[in-house]
Order: sequence, then structure tokens, then C-alpha cells
Amino acid sequence: MKLLIIEDEKELAASIASYLKNENYTCEIASNYKQALDKIETSDYECIALDITLPGGSGMQLLKELKNNKKTDGVIIISAKNSIDDRINGLRLGADDYLVKPFHLSELAARINAIIRRKMYSGNNVIRFNEISIDTLAKEVKVKEDPVELTRKEYELLVYFLSNQRKVISKNALISHLWSQEMGTGESADIIYTHIKNLRKKLSERGCGDYIRSLYGLGYKLTDQ
Amino acid sequence: MKLQAQYNKISIASTIIVLLIAGAGYYFLLQYILKEQLDETLRVEQVEIQDFIQTKHSLPPATTYKDQRIEFKKTDKALQQNFRTLMLYDSDEKENELSRQLDFSVEVNGQYYIVSVTKSQEATEEIIGVILLITLGLIILLSMLLFFANRFLVKRLWKPFQTTLSSIKSFDLNAPSAIKTEKTTIHEFNELNENISMMTERVVKDYLSLKHFIDHASHEMQTPLAVVNSKLDVLIQDPSLNEKNLQDLQVIYDSVDKMSKLSQSLLLLARIENNQFSEKQEVNIHNIAKNIILELDEWISERSLTVNNEINELKANMNPQLANTLITNLIINAIKHSNKQENILLRSDKNILTISNPGTQALDKDRIFDRFWKSEYSDGTGLGLAIAKQICDHYGFLLQYEFSQRTHHFSIIF
Repeated sequence: MKLLIIEDEKELAASIASYLKNENYTCEIASNYKQALDKIETSDYECIALDITLPGGSGMQLLKELKNNKKTDGVIIISAKNSIDDRINGLRLGADDYLVKPFHLSELAARINAIIRRKMYSGNNVIRFNEISIDTLAKEVKVKEDPVELTRKEYELLVYFLSNQRKVISKNALISHLWSQEMGTGESADIIYTHIKNLRKKLSERGCGDYIRSLYGLGYKLTDQ
Repeated sequence: MKLQAQYNKISIASTIIVLLIAGAGYYFLLQYILKEQLDETLRVEQVEIQDFIQTKHSLPPATTYKDQRIEFKKTDKALQQNFRTLMLYDSDEKENELSRQLDFSVEVNGQYYIVSVTKSQEATEEIIGVILLITLGLIILLSMLLFFANRFLVKRLWKPFQTTLSSIKSFDLNAPSAIKTEKTTIHEFNELNENISMMTERVVKDYLSLKHFIDHASHEMQTPLAVVNSKLDVLIQDPSLNEKNLQDLQVIYDSVDKMSKLSQSLLLLARIENNQFSEKQEVNIHNIAKNIILELDEWISERSLTVNNEINELKANMNPQLANTLITNLIINAIKHSNKQENILLRSDKNILTISNPGTQALDKDRIFDRFWKSEYSDGTGLGLAIAKQICDHYGFLLQYEFSQRTHHFSIIF
């Protein structure tokens, strides 16, 4: 699957590409309007991460071009502008999501995964990791074929981990994914710890392997290695 | 007081005063002139009598003719001639009449006589009366004229001003349209209109550049922060990092988080100041608080706090996003500054919302809403309450802090 990152800040684009690329994804980068236009006209992408302010033109214009060319590429806007107008405009022009800078790469990966799931497997929104499977439409978690009852936050955590398999996810990323309001990292970390502990317990009760590793308090990783 | 009413008051009062003074002046001047004229005719009569005596050596006959009367009375000695005003009975009109009399003495064949020549002053009085009436009539007429002139003429004269004023009143920086003015021949109004147009153009331009500045500031700050964040996210994937490295990275993560929160809060403050949240609707404060408490549930139970939402029907007309931020900031503030197992109370009384939490000592009332003011226990940005205050100021709500009975009370009067 091909992803396109349209971002004029080269270092940011490089980080995004290096984080997202794995056995399933290849990433291409366009750092200005013209490059981006060439790329979207010549190939199809599963998802495009699109910055709004670009040298030589606006990301909004690119959205219009995509629409005019009847392209079905998924689009997530990554913008420094946290303005409702931009958000509404972007979504109206056919973008699937809107992420405000600065963001965590794990958050971007989770959202891109969600967009691709919606686009590609309509009616079959299942993410898997070994014996764990999540039906994101029905919000059902199963270990092998056994359903697992999770709280809303535990469910959100598990989806996030499965969208960032084998990657270290920082505590800060988990906190900002779970709560829009922030109360201070100290306590949030304790709450996250509690949630993850409960999640691991519920999964292992169903005979699931213990895949969530803690990394010296900095973050967590879902891995089977 | 309206300019027109003020102007009416002054002009009518001054007209009445001037006319009253002029009327009185008129009255006395006329009275003086007419008296002099009367005295002159009396003197002419005196000369005629003296001539008669000189030629005929006898007294002319005493006469009463129309409003003139001549009388003679014997006397011992010569008298100084004397004018006087007196009331005399008029047998024709059967009433006392104001009259002017000249007394002088004459000598006829060694005998002195006092001659009294009297003329009625009635005609003079009538003239004066008429003049007074005319003056009074003029005062009333002029006042009425002035009043109506002010009502209609002045109103019409001020119309271009009113047009400009209503245009200024409806001026909205968020949807700037040119100030509507009316073409007029009045120089002052034209000058006013020109300057207002120039001023609004300048203000709109400044406002737009400020808006762009905020957008740019946002972009310029968020992008480097995004780069740092993304580099950290990539860096922690490196399996060769040891525990010390990871702890340092955690510190960097936390600092970047704090910085981006700070810049977002400052941008929010600037946006409220710049009136960029113009969308307004009726919001239900009870429901907003309920959702926020639900959202913060984990922190509340982590500290074993109880939060009682006793807000009744309380509605406010404001931007829903700002309403959410306002109530969130106040509730978070209360949660952060509560100790374990304490009770936070939200209640409303008519249009007043009060959020209370226990405390040991009062906070600095004058500085608590200042930007970057923090109590010694606070680990936040120091902007939460400043943002709440800014939102309240923006809508003209009153945000107050009080400390009583070992409890902090934050109240909003909507």
C-alpha cells in the first residue's frame, strides 16, 4: 500500500515516513505544491497526509484537485492551524480527518489505519494481532474466538496498540489520545498504568499472550518478539 | 441629554430672557418718551396761558375739554413749576384715570394764581399695553417656532450624522463592511464621514494583519514543535537506548508537551481577544458541566473526590466551544486544588454559577486571574483561570473569587 506525505517541513516528513513504513506500507514524500500535484495526478495512494500551508499553493487546492479528478485517496489533513473553519472546510472538501500539529506519530498512524480500514474493507473492519482481533465497526474484541468485555478506555487503548504494532508508544501519546483535557502527566500516567494493567489482565484471562511491554515508564509497546 | 434637547433648552431659554429684557427696556423707554411728549404739550399750554395773561391782563377761562383740563387757584406767593402724575376722576368715563399734571404760578394784577394743566395719560398707557402684548405674543410665537424648527429642521440637518452613527453601531470587525454614509452639504459631517471611513479601513487592515500574525505565529511555533515531537517518536524506537536515555527523553517529551500547551493557550487568549469566536448560541450549562465531569471521571475517582452537579436550568448565550473551555478550566482548577476525599460542589442560583472546593487559605484575589499567576502547588501553565476570565470579559459575564468558611468559591454571573 502506498502513502503520500505532503509536508514542506522536510524533517517532519522524513520522521513520518520512517515511522509509517513497514512491511505493508511504502511512503512517498512531496514537499511543495507542484510535486504534490504531479504525484496525485500520476498515481493512486491509499492515504495522503496533507499539510495545508505549502510552498507554491494551498493544501485546500490539492483537495479540490483530488475531488475534480474523482480520486478516492484517503486524506488526513495535518495542519498547524487549530481553526474550526479550516477543519470544516477541509472535511467539506473531502478530507477524511484533521490532525493538529504538533501530534504524535502513533496518533497519525492510528488515524491513517482507520481511514484505510474504512476505505478498503468496507463492511469488514477487523484489525488483528496474533490471536487478538478487533471489529472496529461493532467495537468487539476477541481473543481467538472468545469475546472480551472491555471498558471504553481499555478498548481505545487496545485499538491504538494494534494500530501501532511493534512500536514504542510514549506515555504522552497515550495520554493525549485518550483525553482531550489534560490534568498533568503524573496522575495521567498512573491512570494509564491502571488501565493497561486491567487490559492485560482481561486479555490473559482469555488465554491471550502477554504482548504489552513497559519501557522504563517512558512508554509501552505491543510486541510478540 | 440629547444634543437637540440641550440646544432647544438653551436657545428657548435665551430667547425668552432676551425678549423679556427687551420688553422691559421697551416699556420703560416708551413710557419715558411718551411722558416727555405729554410734558411738552403741557408746556405748550403753559406758554399759551402766559401769553394770554400778558396781552389780556386777565385769566383765561378754566376749561375742561376732552382729556384736557385747566384750573386756577388763588395763592399767596409764586411757586416753582412742577410736573406730577396722579389719579383723577373722569366724569365722562366715570372712573379714575391716570393723568399728568403741570402746576405753575402766574401773576395777574398783583394776585398770584396756581395754574394746573392736566392731561389724561390713558392713551399712553394703552399704547404701552399694546406693545407689551405684542412682545409677549412674539415670545410665544418665537419659542414655538424654535421648538418646531428644532424638531423638524434640526432633525433633518442631523440625519447624515444619524445614518453614520447607526452604521458605526452595526459595524462588526468579524464581518467588516464599509461604513454607510449619506452625502451632505454640511462640511463637518463630510469631514466626520471621511475620517470614520479612513479609520475603519485602517482598523480592518490592522485586524486582518493581526489575524494573519496569529495564524503565522501558530504555524511557526507548532511546526518546530511537531518536528521535535516526531523526532522523539522515532528516536524511542531505537532498541539500543538505555534506561538513563529513556528517562531524559521523558523529560524532553514533558517539556515539549508543556510548550505546545502553552502556545495553544496563548493563541486561544489572543483569539478570544480578537473576537474570533463570534458564533453564539444558547448553551445549557448543566449539560456542559455534566459532560465535563464524565470526561474527568478518572481523575475524580483517582483522588476519591465527589463532584456534585447541582446546577439547575442555567442557560447562557455564548460560543459553545468557549462555554466548554470556561467550565472545564474552572472544574479542573477545583479538582487540581482539592485533596483526597474532598467534595466539589457546582450549584446555580438564577443566573449565577458557583463552583466551590475546600481549601485552607484564601488565594490572592487581585492576582488569581492574571496570566502566568500560579499558586505554589500548581504545576499547570498558569493560564487556565486567565482564559476563564478572558472568556467572561468577552461576554460581559462577571467572574469572581471568594474565600469563606475554608472554601474557595468561583462564581460566574451570566
